Amino acid sequence: MTGKWIVKRMMMGMIVLIIVSFFSFWMLDRAPGNLAAAYYGGNAQTLNASEIERINETFGLDRSIKERYGAWLYELANGNMGYSLKEGRPVLEVLGEKVPNTLVLVLTSLMLIIALSLPLGLIAGLNKDSLISKLVSYAGVLMSSIPAFWLGLVLIWIFSLQLGLLPSSGIKRIGGTGYGDRFVHLVMPVTVLVISHVGLYARFLQESIIAESEKYYVLVALANGVGRKIIKRGMLKNALSPYISYFATTIPSFFGGTVIIESLFSYGGLGQLLVNAVSSKDFPLLMGGVMTMGIFVVVTLFIADCILYAVNPRLRREGAR
Amino acid sequence: MRPYKTKLICWIFLLVIVLLTLFSAYITPYESNTMNMDAVYEAPSQSHWFGTDHLGRDVLTRLLAGGKVTLIVAALSTILSLFLGLIYGGISGYFGGRIDSLLMRLLEVFLTIPSLLIILVFQAFMQGSVWSILLIIGLTSWYTTARIVRTEFLKLSQLEFVQVAKMIGTPVWKILVSHLLRNSMEAVFVVTLFNFAGAIFIEVSLSFLGIGVSPAVPSWGNMLFHAQSDFITGAWWVGIFPGLLIMFTVLSINIIGSSTFRTKRG
Repeated sequence: MTGKWIVKRMMMGMIVLIIVSFFSFWMLDRAPGNLAAAYYGGNAQTLNASEIERINETFGLDRSIKERYGAWLYELANGNMGYSLKEGRPVLEVLGEKVPNTLVLVLTSLMLIIALSLPLGLIAGLNKDSLISKLVSYAGVLMSSIPAFWLGLVLIWIFSLQLGLLPSSGIKRIGGTGYGDRFVHLVMPVTVLVISHVGLYARFLQESIIAESEKYYVLVALANGVGRKIIKRGMLKNALSPYISYFATTIPSFFGGTVIIESLFSYGGLGQLLVNAVSSKDFPLLMGGVMTMGIFVVVTLFIADCILYAVNPRLRREGAR
Repeated sequence: MRPYKTKLICWIFLLVIVLLTLFSAYITPYESNTMNMDAVYEAPSQSHWFGTDHLGRDVLTRLLAGGKVTLIVAALSTILSLFLGLIYGGISGYFGGRIDSLLMRLLEVFLTIPSLLIILVFQAFMQGSVWSILLIIGLTSWYTTARIVRTEFLKLSQLEFVQVAKMIGTPVWKILVSHLLRNSMEAVFVVTLFNFAGAIFIEVSLSFLGIGVSPAVPSWGNMLFHAQSDFITGAWWVGIFPGLLIMFTVLSINIIGSSTFRTKRG
């Protein structure tokens, strides 16, 4: 039955990806102006009618959207995402350069967020009236009220411009190699992502532990002389699954956040590529980027679901039905 | 400080901000778009409290005028998302059964799509218009509202007074509005508040990226669009003040939202 559940989840992911791709394709198709104009940018006015027609024919723009979307899907299935209009290189090649950077950024931040928010939330939730509990409550609200990109701006101002300690942008120094250099460039983007998320997650865990500790079964177990340690363990297990599902629901917006952070720090990853593709109207690249990010989100959600499934026996029973 | 006092302060702060921004044109002696090349990057002083930006425009004036755009965009898009959420969640929660499970599956799919992606694609060709950004924020932020309305409606539909109302033939719209909707007001209010804060964030972030409100219209996000180079020039006031204002506004909304949520839970 676990197998059945996994297949079901995967189907769900596929549906999401197809809807995302169709939506984007359709919206880009609705875009005013034609592809020929986008391709030639500022020189578009110099094109005459027959030239536009020739370009349209070459790119298959005279076909219906159904045909074109079908062709795009078919090519995608064969590992071809088309060619970037601006760079003329295969989209896949461009993505291959940028995606690893984003993965490094996202994975580092996510791991730090989990590593910080879990203990903070736990301690704050278990000691309800302690100083740290109050701190988590207040800091959580405060941190989620700071616009992430503005925090980044201020950090750049302080650490790059005033103190000259950290680089303000990029992935590495020009011609720079070595992990130390890369690490230094990661510090600020990761810090911003962690600060703007950690409070939220810690606070959520804290609240769900407090809510759990007020439940009837805890009282009954206490009255029956069950050891506090055992109760605590049970409580934590129950409070963990809302935390994980909260994590899962915020993953899409987390990826959205990286788009903004990447463009702020000129961190050459997927997010910056997306924003650039939008402003240069590079539609094949945009489609490729959107799909890649969609795949990331779907995969991360799938992993979160699997953890949830392992932690929560109720889900397992439901899945059996 | 007692919770209700904090909440009151937040409400007053928000009210002041809203009034100041709405009537900004009558308050400040400067024009928000008038450039003054003789007064570029002037530090905060008596005549320019928050300094001037790279085109010599008064930062405080632009903050107030920009707040109007940002807050109106956020408010209208929140209202749009509230309506969509009420309708979607209402249908799902009231009818229940297969319609409900179908709609909820679909919602799960929507929730998985990073809304920023949709907004990016949309803005790729609708660049600049205040209306387009308002529309797209509204269209991508109703999911939580729908979820909460649905849960509340489902819960309330089970209750006796609703069952009785159905039995004695109360018209459907009356059940929906005066029984179901009225009793889920508080939960809807909280989620709408959080949506409002979220909408401010989205507008600000998009305009900062240069794909939001067009640069000609001042907005809190637009003011920060240039901030990176302003910081380099040493004009910290251009970047710091809008950010602080955004932060305090969103902070008060969040405090009101979470304290309402807590008093409700008891």
